[in-house]
Amino acid sequence: MSVVFDIVLLLFLIGTALTVARTKNLVAAVVIFSSYGLGMCLLWLHRGAPDVAMTEAAVGAGITTVLFLVTIGKTARREK
Amino acid sequence: MFEALWDNRDYVAAVVLFCIGLYVIIAKDNLIKKLLGLNIMETAVFAFIVTVGVVDGGEPPILGPGATPPYASPLPHALVLTGIVVAVSTTALALSLIIRIHRQCGTIEADELREME
Amino acid sequence: MKKAATAALLIVTAIPMLIGVAALPRHGDPQAPVHTGVSARYLEGGAAEGGTPNIVANILLNYRGLDTAGEVIVIFTALVAGLAALLTAPPLFTRARRMPPAARAASAPPVSPVVGFVVRLLAPFIALFAIYIIVHGHASPGGGFQGGAILGGLFVVLTIVLGEERALTLMPRAAAPWMQAAAVIAFVAVGVIGAALTGYFLGFPVETMHLAAKLMMIALEAGIGLGGAAIFATLFLEMETA
Repeated sequence: MSVVFDIVLLLFLIGTALTVARTKNLVAAVVIFSSYGLGMCLLWLHRGAPDVAMTEAAVGAGITTVLFLVTIGKTARREK
Repeated sequence: MFEALWDNRDYVAAVVLFCIGLYVIIAKDNLIKKLLGLNIMETAVFAFIVTVGVVDGGEPPILGPGATPPYASPLPHALVLTGIVVAVSTTALALSLIIRIHRQCGTIEADELREME
Repeated sequence: MKKAATAALLIVTAIPMLIGVAALPRHGDPQAPVHTGVSARYLEGGAAEGGTPNIVANILLNYRGLDTAGEVIVIFTALVAGLAALLTAPPLFTRARRMPPAARAASAPPVSPVVGFVVRLLAPFIALFAIYIIVHGHASPGGGFQGGAILGGLFVVLTIVLGEERALTLMPRAAAPWMQAAAVIAFVAVGVIGAALTGYFLGFPVETMHLAAKLMMIALEAGIGLGGAAIFATLFLEMETA
């Protein structure tokens, strides 16, 4: 396992999570959350869990994002 | 202590992500933002459970021609698979409730909802 | 004040977790309890007892089949509760009424021709990939939930590109309830068949009737995939039209 890849990936995950926490624009936050999910999928693939990675890519980054975006379209685009 | 934390850096990252999610849930008033925080917390817990199953030089637990031991532990993977699907169902239900709250109260900010009572 | 309290709470949460994490067995240690306990047993006997090379699918459908049955009931219940939240009570604040599909399609913003072309081009391949993942999930990474989520996502993009009316031909009104309940129905049916063949609910006759066990497993995966896709698609449609 390469240490550099590990560190970059973990920092990417923490960075995207912090960005989700800080972004006021909800659409942007959801899209960044989707990329956080894809980073998590990459981590799990690297840790020998292809089944879980596939589920996260399809469910976590796909369906969840769509449902969030639909809800934002029905409610408010920005956080107050 | 620090050496142990460096060896277990996956777990440390999971703890940090869990705390970020907890912070979003506590500090933000927007219900959608709170739900995003809840999702970050959930994925952090899943990441912790999946990375517990890692073994040095391990392969995915799919037996067949060409696969050699050691294999990563399959049990955490199965538990997390169940967990992810349950997490997305709770998220979908929560989003339906948010749409309903917006329809009845006209806002999805927790502080405004509290004043409305 | 609130910020200080939040920071204090986070520190109080994080420090015990970090101490606990540092005391865990080293990451990747082959002697850790997770590798020596029941997992070793699953890896050793799983292929012979479950009849599938993918041990994760094996645990989900065979060793812990009842857990997975409970899980599909959870998704189904989430659908029921979501529909109850969305479809009851009149809107108080927003004036939007439920428009007929044709009027909504006319008011929807147009889709970019590039997106439309790419989705039309890729849709059959996405569907084929999802079906491969569902049917072959017992031997390679994948399974019912993953394939179902991909099918649900395909339905969502088709709804956006082709319009609701044409996408709904994939899930006709008469068949929709059966498709949403497909996972639960598949579990009950396969469980009863297993009880008839082996004497245990959700038992798989791997040693005696290998082909039957494999077919039962594929039926379960197909039910989970179809049910998951229908549930995700319904939730999307109801949230969109709510």
